Formats: sequence, C-alpha cells, structure tokens
Amino acid sequence: MRWLKSTSHRFRSLFRKNVVERELDQELRFHLERQIAEYVVAGMSREEARRTALREFGGVEQMKEQCRDERRVNLIETLLQDIRYGVRTLRKNPGFTFFAVVALALGIAANTAIFSIADVVLLRPLPYRDAGRLVKVWEDSAAYGFPRDTPAPGNFFDWKARNAVFEDMAATSGFHHSFNLTGDGNPEEIPGKRVTANLFSVLGVKPALGRDFRAEDDIPGSAHVAILSHGLWLQRFGGDPQIVGKEMHLNYEKYTVIGVMPRGFQFPDREAQLWVPAQFTKEQLANHGNHFLNVVARLKPGISLKTANANLATIAKQLEKEHPEENAKVGAYAIPLREETSGDIRPAILVLVGAVCFVLLIACANVANLLLARASGRRREMALRLTLGASCGRVIRQMLTESVLLATLGGVAGLLLSFWGTPFLASLIPAGIAPLSGTEVNGRVLLFTLVVSIATGMLFGIIPALRVSELDLVDSLKQGGGRSGLGSGGRRLRDALVVCEVALAIVLLSGAALMIRSLENLYHLDPGFRADHVLVMRTPLPRQKYEEFVRRTAFYDQVLERVDHIPGVIAAGYTTWVPLTNTGGATGILVENQPVPPPGQRLIPNVRIVSKDYIRALRMKLVKGRLFDEHDGAGTQAVALINETIAREYWHGANPIGRRFTRGDPQEKPEWITVVGIVGDVHQAGLDIPARPEMYLPYQQQDFGFEPEYLAVWTSGDPMLLAEAVRTEVWTVDKEQPVAGVMPLENLVDDNLAARRVQASLLGGFAGMALLLASLGIYAVLSFAVTQRTQEIGVRVALGAEPGDVLHLVFSQGLKLFLIGAALGLASALGLSRTLTHLLYGVSAHDPVSFASVTILLAGVTLLACYIPARRATRVDPMVALRYE
Amino acid sequence: MSKPTDLVQGTLDLLILKTVALEPMHGWAVAQRIRQVSGNVLQVNQGALYPALHRLEQQGWIQAEWGESENNRRAKYYALTKAGKKYLQHEEANWERLSTAIGLVLKTV
Repeated sequence: MRWLKSTSHRFRSLFRKNVVERELDQELRFHLERQIAEYVVAGMSREEARRTALREFGGVEQMKEQCRDERRVNLIETLLQDIRYGVRTLRKNPGFTFFAVVALALGIAANTAIFSIADVVLLRPLPYRDAGRLVKVWEDSAAYGFPRDTPAPGNFFDWKARNAVFEDMAATSGFHHSFNLTGDGNPEEIPGKRVTANLFSVLGVKPALGRDFRAEDDIPGSAHVAILSHGLWLQRFGGDPQIVGKEMHLNYEKYTVIGVMPRGFQFPDREAQLWVPAQFTKEQLANHGNHFLNVVARLKPGISLKTANANLATIAKQLEKEHPEENAKVGAYAIPLREETSGDIRPAILVLVGAVCFVLLIACANVANLLLARASGRRREMALRLTLGASCGRVIRQMLTESVLLATLGGVAGLLLSFWGTPFLASLIPAGIAPLSGTEVNGRVLLFTLVVSIATGMLFGIIPALRVSELDLVDSLKQGGGRSGLGSGGRRLRDALVVCEVALAIVLLSGAALMIRSLENLYHLDPGFRADHVLVMRTPLPRQKYEEFVRRTAFYDQVLERVDHIPGVIAAGYTTWVPLTNTGGATGILVENQPVPPPGQRLIPNVRIVSKDYIRALRMKLVKGRLFDEHDGAGTQAVALINETIAREYWHGANPIGRRFTRGDPQEKPEWITVVGIVGDVHQAGLDIPARPEMYLPYQQQDFGFEPEYLAVWTSGDPMLLAEAVRTEVWTVDKEQPVAGVMPLENLVDDNLAARRVQASLLGGFAGMALLLASLGIYAVLSFAVTQRTQEIGVRVALGAEPGDVLHLVFSQGLKLFLIGAALGLASALGLSRTLTHLLYGVSAHDPVSFASVTILLAGVTLLACYIPARRATRVDPMVALRYE
Repeated sequence: MSKPTDLVQGTLDLLILKTVALEPMHGWAVAQRIRQVSGNVLQVNQGALYPALHRLEQQGWIQAEWGESENNRRAKYYALTKAGKKYLQHEEANWERLSTAIGLVLKTV
C-alpha cells in the first residue's frame, strides 16, 4: 500500500503543482515566523529577531529546491518545465529559430535520405533465406582480359559435381533475355531469365502461389513451365488467384504458369519478371568454351569463403588439365552475394555518407555558433538563475533541453524533407546499379533520424552549455546589459567553429570538384563512336520462326533496305551488340603463318557481326584499308575489319591488311577470313574501360550463334522522331516481329555514366549546402563581432579612422578565419581525396586545378559574407555608438 | 550559537521519526524538541530538516496534515504512519545493536 501512497504523492506533486508549492512556501514561512517569535520572547527587537532568523535560515530557494528533489518528480517536472521554457525562448527569437531549424533540417534530411539508401544497399540483409551464406561464383579469365567472366555450363556442371563446400549451386543464363509474351492483350517484351530448376531453393525463397520448379521441369524436351514475379502477376494478370495452371505464349511457344514469387522478390536484378527452366542439354553441360552463365551458390554451414575459394581453385586446376584448350589459365572464385549486388555502388555510398556527415557537422557548428552568441546575451539570465539557487547541472540541463528541442524541430522538418527527398534520390539511381526495392522512410530510418537529431542537439548544445559552468557570477551580474559580455574565450570558440566550417566546406567542395572533373573527362572522352543522332532498337528474331540462316539474312537485308529509304536516315546498320551493351562476346582465332599459341595464350578477340553500314552509322574511324561494301556477301571472299588493338597485338606492327585468320582448326581445311580494313578502337565495355581486341564480320558470311539484333540508325534530326517510321518498316517486313529497347544511343552513354553522374551531382549538391552554411557561419560571426565592437568602431571613427580602415578591420578578421580554415581544409582534403582515387577518371586525386578553384570559390563567398557586416560597420555613427551601451 | 553537530542522514531520520512518534508535530517543533531533549547537543539545521521531512513523507513513514498551531496559525503537522511505526521499531533495534557494539569496542580497547 505504501507504494500506492508514494505514487499518489508524486502525482500530486506533478499535477497539483500550485497547491504543493503554496504548501511548501507556507510551511517554511511558518517556521520562520515561529523562530522570530521565539527570538522576540528571548528579548530581541522585532527587527533584529527577523534578521537573525533569516540569516540562520539560509537560502530559502535552495531549500525548496531540495524539498522538491526529495519528492523525486523533479526529473519529469523540470523536463516539462525546460521544454515549456525552451519553446518560449525559441518563439521569442523567430529569426534565430528559423535559421537554426532550416540549417539542421537540411543536414538531417541529407543524412536520412542517404541513410535510407545505404540501409537498403549496404545494411539490410538481402531478401533471401540466410543470405550471408549466398555467394556468386565466377570464372577468372584475367589471362584473356576477363577477370570476372561468366562461367561456361561445363565448368558450372563440374564445380557443382565436385565441390565439397556448397550445399547447392544454381545458374541463370547471363545473356540478356526477354520473352515476347503474346495471348490475351498486346504483345509485350518481358525481361526474364532462363534458370536451373534449383535456383529458388538455393536462394531459399518459395513461390507465394503455386509450386517451385522441379528437377523434371529442367530436362530438355519436357513441358514448358514458368514462374512469374509478383509485379508481373499483378500488372499483366490482374492478380488472378487462379493463375496457376493457366497457359500463356512466350516467344510463340506454350508455357504453363506454375507459380508466382512473393512480393519484392528479385533475382538476379530488379528487371527480371519471369523465370523459366534453362533445360540445358547434355552437350551444353559438357561445353567449356561458351561462357554465359551467372552462378549463385549456398555455402555449407560453417564453411568460410576462404575455404570455398581454396576448393574452387583446386577444381579449376583439375579442369585446366582435363580441358587445356578451353580452360588453360581459367580460375574460379566466389564472392559474397551482398558484395556482388552492392559492389559498384558501395564506395560511392560510403563517400556520400561521409559527405552528409560533414554537412551535418557544419550545420551543427553553425547552430552552436548562434547559441554561443545568444548565450553571451543570456549570461545575466544564467548568472541570475545560479544566484537564485539553481544548481549548475540544472542550468546545463536546461540549455541542453533547449538545443535538443531545436534539433528535434530540425529533425521533424528534415524528416518531412526526406519524405520527398528519399524517393527522389532513389529514382536517380539507375535500375542496373543496385537492387533498391523498399527505399522508403521506414521504422529504421525514423529511428536513425531520431538518434541523429538528439545527438545533433547534444553536439551543438554541449559547448555553449558547458560554458555556463565557467560563469563568474559577480562579474556577469555587474555587466549591465551584458552587451560586451562575451569573453575572449567565447570569441575564440566561435572563431574555431567557423574555421572548422570553412575547412569542412573545402573538403566537400574539393571532393565534388574532383568528381565533376572526372565526369567531364568521361563526357569529353572519345569512345571511338558518336552517340548523338543515333537511334537504336532491338529486333531479336524468334528462333522457331527464323530457323534457317538465309531467312535471317533476308530479314536483315529487307529491313535495312527499307530503313535506308526513310527520309532523314543517313545510314543504318545491324550489329550483335551496340557499344556499352556487352562487355564480352568473344571468339578464339588463329592467325595464318603464326604458330598455334599454347593453351592459355590463345587469341580471343571480341566479335561483332554487322551489316556493311554499321561502322558508318556509328561514325567509327576507318584507320586503314576499306569498309565493307555491297560486294561482301554470301559466296564472296570472307572478310573482316579489325580494330587498332588487334592490329597492334596480333600482327605486332606489320600491316595486317590482306592477311588472313581462321576461327577453326588450321590443320583441317581452315575457313580463312581476310582482313580488309582497320577501324578505330571503340569503348565497348564502358566509357572508362579501354578497348579489347575486336573484329567485325559481315552477317551474310558468318553464322555461329551470335545474331545481329541491334539496329542502329544515324539520323539527320532528332533520332526519336524517326522511331515510329523505323518500327513501321520492321513490321512491314514481319508484322509479328517484336521490337524492343527503342531509344537514342545517347541514353546508353548516359546510363553508363549514371552512377558517376549521380555521385557527382549529389556530392556537388551537398558541397553546395556546405558552402551556403559555411558562408552563413562567417557572416553570422562577423555580423555579431561588428555589433559587439560598435562602440570601439565608433571611437575609431571619432578619432579619424576612414571607412577604408573600418572595412579593413572587418575584412581582416573574416579573411583570417578563412585562411586558417582553408589551410586546414586543403590539408585534410589532400589526405582524404586519396580515398576517392578509384572513383576518379583522368584526374589526379591531388588535381591542383580542382583544389585551387574551390579555394577561390570559397574565398569569393567569404568576401561576400564579410562585405555586408563590413558595410554596416562603416555606417556606424560615432555619436550613436558611444551611447550604445 | 554553537556549531550544530553534523548528523548522519539515517540518524536524522531516526530522530525525526522518534520525535513525531509521541504526537503529531510541525517542523519547527520537531527541531525544538530534538534540541531540548538532547540537552542542546543536537541542533537540527532547517536546511536538512525540511528535505528530510519531505523525504520521509514521500517514503510513507510519516504523513502530513494541516492544523492549528499553538499560536493559532496554520501549520503542517507530521504524524507517524503505521508503516512508519514498524520502520521506527526496526531502526531503533538496529541502533541499539550498533551502539552497544561500538560501546563494547570502545570499552575493551
């Protein structure tokens, strides 16, 4: 029962505060009066008795405070009181509050947005069962220029059979696959994957509807089945609960839907909407030379990545011996799936995380500065409170409450900003880079924002608060209005904060400058082809319909013939892959009159099967010899164009024109191909990746599995204006032919640079925020200093100082801060920029131009920030100033 | 006035409880009573007395009620609760044991 009573006491103290306070007051007053009466009885005069009793009684307020403490409601009560008081002070200074909240909101919103992306990309486990044990397995063909090669089915099959480290291994076909879905509704290109039947069980995800693939579905010739993504099921089939067992047509063949994957499931990327069994044939599973798989495997419990890699290396060595032709110098290794999916974007995100932290730090420094300035105005208030019985800790607590309150307001505003900003950021990141489903403001993000807000409040509040403990009470109380209140210690602190802001801003700005220069270099780099005014589209021929080679070439002939005649078309060409769509696509060759290279040193150039005008349509350079012409057709001499890298590496400087090579075995009736021209190197794999050896063969002469499916059209005007006309011509040739991926070639260039562009623009944006905040910081400090020194300036003017002298006074203070900050900033930027090295292109991490330009930029902004307070200083009227205090 | 003897916190609680055990009393009277009974040796400082009273009230050992004082003023009277009575007995026994023990040590040595 006792606890009930004491709780009710506490409630009484908390909610009936007035009554309790009055009672406390009465009780103590009664004591005092009783004591006075006692002294009067003892013979003192009433006045004397009163004085003695009061002196003896001691500090009434302190005693009251102790009594309240005993009631132990103080914690909540003072918090409420502090919050009320804080809200009142903040409302009284709307300008200060507004600026502080905006600065903090920007900092916190940037952090929240970047965190929610980092959360998905780096932190949250991948949406598969026990995803930590999932790895991707690659072939290491670095000897041939492919350090991360898509494994050949034969290798996959042998790894799977021989390894001791994986529970299971699954594969998807690495080729770009899409299925032409026909049947009810419009024909539609659906991106999908051919997969081994065990894929979903390796990933540990079961279909939400229907069943998983079974081993028998994967046997060549068995009935066609398909599993749909949740999104496709909703979009195309309206979420039909009876979908399982229904039939649909994919690439003109009948498939039965057997299942629907759960919402949010994606593999291997967020594009794939549909999965069908790969049904690899025995021959395919024995093929070690055709590299086109993506392999995912699940480690056995307790097996480390290192053990797995050792095991894979051993198997790879065995395979080298067994298949020297294909497997010489081909290794194998596994990397965690998490690294695989976030690998490219990880360093960029870490850089951005660092950048937003800097922005927040600058915002904190700014607000701390404002608080310090305000604290110097509140010294008298604080001194008064301390004198009236507040403990030092109590005053510090109150000031911290105010700053946390401020930070919370900033946090709420920041959160509102990030509701808009996060989806915007996520939309900037292209689909191919990282799986970003579920980038929204969720519980974790909210928690993050809350923690950041409170930590921020503590961070910028602690310095001004701690300065309270250094207050000299008597001095502060004596200092009238408290105008000249700020001691030199306070000014030094404020100066130090501004110096830090400048330094942080320099670091951010130089990082952004380096990234932007890299991007610029890449945009101005000559990739060996021109992307402007080129329209591309894919017309993949359904294999069933175009079984025979002549039917296929006839299709290409007719389409090109028709497209050439569209007004506005300068040149049109077919190719297997336009640049930036395939890093590989290679085949081994042997050069005439050269010894057959030993295994492991075979020549494996990229091959592109093209039409005669393709080279012209992409405006590639002809270095030597001739391009293809209308005479290079079926039945004439087999010809090839080679790039400069082949010419240099395979013919070692000798003139290769007229020389021959073969794809087959030179011992048994080789089919020689004659080099007729050399074209410039083209960056196929990525704008920042140098060219491999590469050759171009006319489609009429070669039929070995690589089909030209990209149509590239060089147009005189906007390429997209001709898209409809070109598509119509394709449909005139074959009205059922699917046409996909219609876009300007420039889109591919943009996509290729998207990650860098996003990084550069985000970093640039954050650097801009830093610049703004830092310049506001300088402005605030100088403006405050001018106000503080009004009297001094007035005296100087009265004694004959010219406006120039006054300007000099203010500018020199501002520039001093800037110079120290810039020196510190440049030093740290030079140190930190090394971490950016692998994100840069064509620019050194210590690029003097970048560093110089950001310093000049910040110097300019600093001058501007100095100018306004300096102007104000020159207008000081000595008469007014002298009466100022 | 002589310097008041410092009282250990627990000891002051014990003295207050014992004092208000006789009859309900206001703060001033408690201090007076302790001083008188102890023959002017124990002087309870107000700064310690009132926080102690509030603490004991908070803990439920005593309860307060407003009443008329001897000079017809409203005063806050503290009285021992049932729980306080038990607690006092317990603490008194403790104190006996402790002081006897200390006495023994002092005598023997």
